[in-house]
Amino acid sequence: MTRQSPIVRVIARFAVPLSCLVAARIFLQGHDLPGGGFIAGVLLAAAGAMHMIAFGPERAARVAWWRVGVVGLLVSVLTGAVPVARGHAYMDNTILHVGSYHLPTATFFDLGVMLIVVGTLMTIFVELDRERR
Amino acid sequence: MLALDAASLLPLVVLLPFAAATAVVVLGPRVAHGAGWAVAAAALGSAAALVPAAHTPGADGFVVEWLPSLGIALAFRADGFGLLLAFLVAGMGALVALYALGYLAGAEDRARVRRFWAALATFMGAMLGIALADDLMLLFVCWEVTSVASFLLIGHRFEDEDAKAGALVSLQVTALGGLAMFTGFLLVARTTGTFVLSRIAADPAPLLASPLATPALLLILLGAFTKSAQVPFHFWLPRAMAAPTPVSAYLHAATMVKAGVFLLGRMHPVLGTAPLWAPILVAVGTASMLLGAWQAFREVDLKAILARTTASALGMLTLGYGLGGTDGDSLAVLSHALYKGALFFVAGIVEHHAHTRRLDRLGGLGRELPLAFAACAAAALSMAGVPPFLGFVAKEGFYATLFGSAYLEARPLLQGAVVLASLATSALTVAVAGKLTLGVFLGPRRDLHRAADRPRGVPLTPWPLVLAGGALALGLASGGHFTADVVAATASGHGDAAHVTLLPPAGAPLLASLLALGLGVALYAARRRVPDAPAVLPSADRAWERGIAAVAAAGEAYSRRWQNGSLRWYLSATLLTVPAFCLWTLGTTGLSWQDVGIDLAHVPWYGLAFCVLLAAATVATVRARTRLAAAIGMTTIGFLVSMLFVVYRSPDILLTQVLIETVSTIFVLLVLVHLPAFPKRDLPAFSRLVNAGIAAAFGLTITLLLLLAMTPGLREPDNIAVRPGGLLSQALAEGGGQNAVNVIIVDIRAADTNGEITVLVLVGLCIWGLLRARRSARTRRSEPA
Repeated sequence: MTRQSPIVRVIARFAVPLSCLVAARIFLQGHDLPGGGFIAGVLLAAAGAMHMIAFGPERAARVAWWRVGVVGLLVSVLTGAVPVARGHAYMDNTILHVGSYHLPTATFFDLGVMLIVVGTLMTIFVELDRERR
Repeated sequence: MLALDAASLLPLVVLLPFAAATAVVVLGPRVAHGAGWAVAAAALGSAAALVPAAHTPGADGFVVEWLPSLGIALAFRADGFGLLLAFLVAGMGALVALYALGYLAGAEDRARVRRFWAALATFMGAMLGIALADDLMLLFVCWEVTSVASFLLIGHRFEDEDAKAGALVSLQVTALGGLAMFTGFLLVARTTGTFVLSRIAADPAPLLASPLATPALLLILLGAFTKSAQVPFHFWLPRAMAAPTPVSAYLHAATMVKAGVFLLGRMHPVLGTAPLWAPILVAVGTASMLLGAWQAFREVDLKAILARTTASALGMLTLGYGLGGTDGDSLAVLSHALYKGALFFVAGIVEHHAHTRRLDRLGGLGRELPLAFAACAAAALSMAGVPPFLGFVAKEGFYATLFGSAYLEARPLLQGAVVLASLATSALTVAVAGKLTLGVFLGPRRDLHRAADRPRGVPLTPWPLVLAGGALALGLASGGHFTADVVAATASGHGDAAHVTLLPPAGAPLLASLLALGLGVALYAARRRVPDAPAVLPSADRAWERGIAAVAAAGEAYSRRWQNGSLRWYLSATLLTVPAFCLWTLGTTGLSWQDVGIDLAHVPWYGLAFCVLLAAATVATVRARTRLAAAIGMTTIGFLVSMLFVVYRSPDILLTQVLIETVSTIFVLLVLVHLPAFPKRDLPAFSRLVNAGIAAAFGLTITLLLLLAMTPGLREPDNIAVRPGGLLSQALAEGGGQNAVNVIIVDIRAADTNGEITVLVLVGLCIWGLLRARRSARTRRSEPA
């Protein structure tokens, strides 16, 4: 992808961070409202693609995206393994209560899902883009 | 209390060698030959940990849950027979480790030496697992591990083509048998309802009454016969002799090949009364012992001779089990391990000394290797069944089983044949024993390399002496009651009834032993005048290789036809299979297209407008002339579909659809440049017709499916999601979330999602790896230019 026109770059300068914020919001509200780790991951990948289109693929290609996916897998598997260590079944998620706040452990699993989706999609974007050159 | 301790030591027995193997691997290049001491120590440790169990006969087992949902447990139990094998594995393991320390002392390749020790220790652990397992699945897993360890050890000198081929053949044969055995175990567990061996043996009636008894028997026997190199799978054992000699002594004489007959001993209480048990075992055992002994008699390679006599001895054991001779089986196992281990050790010493294993190049080594000569002579006498060695006692036990068998009693003709075959086998074995000892150590000294390498490291000679001495001592001890007590405690049947004595009463067994000895001596004297047997049977070795080649050819033909690399073909196959399965499943529900009710009255006008636009976009996509136009058309369709979710107010699906459309458009654009030109217009009319048919079949089926999904017939009230107490109501209660879909995905069904995301990561890694590999191949190609 060659460098795009200034119009695209200016739009992307605002749109990319905004997309990331929206993705964070979507991720966090996923338990009760439309959203969740998968869709937040897809949105992040879309933001990444926009970044690549507007500013060129070099910066995005510097990240080892496949590692992000592997880390995500580790996060979600570890989330599942914690209950095992405490004598429950695999992936037996519970809800942690921190004061008046409740935090389901499934959130960590969802975080893993998000990392995997971003990592895998961005891996494919970056590698396919390299193929073009 | 003591019983509990003894049982809980059993897993430790198995784990120690595995721990040694892990340590050898983890410590890496720092250890090479030193690893041998660790393995020997682990073997001794395992043997020591077995002692308490041996002192508490009938101790309860040790059970840890493994896969409780499948009823599979890590169940260990030490009965006499299992303990015998376990002691053999640990004791021989220690001796073999010490012997191998000397045998490998000159080896330079440290990485390879390390691999050797890791594989040997792994094997030891798995073999101990086989001996002590009380769960069929645990037994199977250990069984397979020994096959793999055997493969690695045979292929130790992997630059040698014979070693490579031998390793592969042994793995193919034993792994095939292992799979058959696995299937047999599943059948056993299905009919008896448990994987626990002791429980199955206590009440095998449900299995025997079931029609699955015969398939289970055949499959399990296949496992036993492949592992123990019985006819027609006898050919892999001689080829496994490419392994280093300590491995041959340990895996392919003393322990691993015994796993097959051990399994027969374990299965005898379960399947021993099945109608096919006796005929098959008698036939296979008789054929194996006779063929093995004959081939050993004709063979010239020292280790191949030993391998063939091993197959022969195991055939004798198989025959014994066929005749129900479980009372003295431990005696035969012990006797064979002692003399064959010693003989292999001697073979290794001879090979190190003379740099050849061929009998026609060996001779007159007695003066140079007097201790090896002594060990070899003692072991050979035991093998030949000469009193007062243990081999004589064992052979007497075998003949006692033979003549006391009610099965043969009722079939005089068969009895005659089996007795004749046994006599011939014994006589041939005597001749082979003579050939081994006298041919190597006496006679004129042939042209040898002058022994170049002085023995380094641990000396090799003591270990065969230990084993041969054991054969003599236990033989002498059977004059008293010591050996009889050992056999009684370790037989898989009722050891008390075994025929263990150095001074047998005059009778058929004694007569047979003496007759075989006399015949054997005569055969040895006339060994050069014995003509070759006519090759009536096809070579099992070649038949196996032809079979493997046929499988490979069939696989290749299949791949060429179905996996031909054409995306169009894959897509067509998928698009035709999906409707076929869907329609078939729909057929079983009894629904038809007449159940579809389309209710347009509740669709708002803008919903209909989107539908019209959708149809138009579809037509435009199909008629597009370039790929880019088609891609844009597909994207348009996707976004229009997401508009329908606005109409029906499902924001979560809308969100997903929009984002997925966005991302897949980027994908398509990235891939587009790599695709060949759009050849649609150039296709012949017939192909286009076929394509249209496939597309129509797929599209119409999916349409029908979606429409039917809305009919009451498919919206069952006990649907897993919507029924009372179903997933939807669990979401809030257990997951604490309002978004039921997401809670189901990440919490209630998190294990499913875990599988899916694992696939996703793997796909990403595969794409990454494939594209990288392709690029680096391309740069490599362009560099030399």
